[in-house]
Amino acid sequence: MRVVEACGKTVEEATEKALEQLNLPIERVQIEILEEPSSGLFGLIGAKQARVRVSEKITPESYMHDFLEEIIGKMGLVAEVETYMEDKNLLMNVSGQKMGMLIGKRGQTLNALQYLLNVIYHKKFPEQEGRIILDVEDYRQKREETLRMLAENLAKKVVRMHREVVLEPMTPQERRIIHTALQEHEAVRTYSEGEEPYRKVVIAPR
Amino acid sequence: MAMKELVEIIAKALVDHPDEVRVERIEDERVITLELHVASEDMGKVIGKRGRIAKAIRTVVNAASSAEKKRVLVEIVQ
Repeated sequence: MRVVEACGKTVEEATEKALEQLNLPIERVQIEILEEPSSGLFGLIGAKQARVRVSEKITPESYMHDFLEEIIGKMGLVAEVETYMEDKNLLMNVSGQKMGMLIGKRGQTLNALQYLLNVIYHKKFPEQEGRIILDVEDYRQKREETLRMLAENLAKKVVRMHREVVLEPMTPQERRIIHTALQEHEAVRTYSEGEEPYRKVVIAPR
Repeated sequence: MAMKELVEIIAKALVDHPDEVRVERIEDERVITLELHVASEDMGKVIGKRGRIAKAIRTVVNAASSAEKKRVLVEIVQ
């Protein structure tokens, strides 16, 4: 959480200076007046400036942003975290060096971290309805393209062999990509089987 | 050192009693063991259903420890 102190002729002026330093709108901060201004004797002797302490309000977004940044730092990585809300979901995008370490084999580190962030998010902010979607330099978008191509190729194979194909275990989001990719397909249907976290998609002839 | 703190930060965010979270680092010739101690009523919070939270913590720590020569284990102790 970021905090700054600033002085000015009036409380408003001091606050404005602090907001500028923090680069935040007024609704995102908490203002504490440390000293009221006084004009002093004849406006000269003992005149005091207004002094305020302005701190960033902790929002679910700012809390999770700081938390993720701390985790990444402790993992020994130098990276930027960008967060924004989209349809109730909190999107967190990480970019930096050595991002392969954060992604892991087939995204397993990324998924583990996303899972932990979601557990923590809903514990700290139970009123939040959406979920956290963690991405590293568009990894998920690339993965989505790969999964869609995989779905198309496997569908062809299912039609050709007239036999079911069982995919490797995937996260719910990854499974949804496969289901969506093939939902309009005339010759195959898809369903999931097994228990989390080993649930798999099955592509079967219609 | 950072790995010990990594486990500590994650565990503290997960439990109801963060003050009782403690991580001890035990090192021998082959492995580094990070012993995570939490309040007994918080055990479920760091393990999760079918060990899913514990598994996720281990995955993140393993990624962070890739620079280490030794294997790093996370053990949850009451």
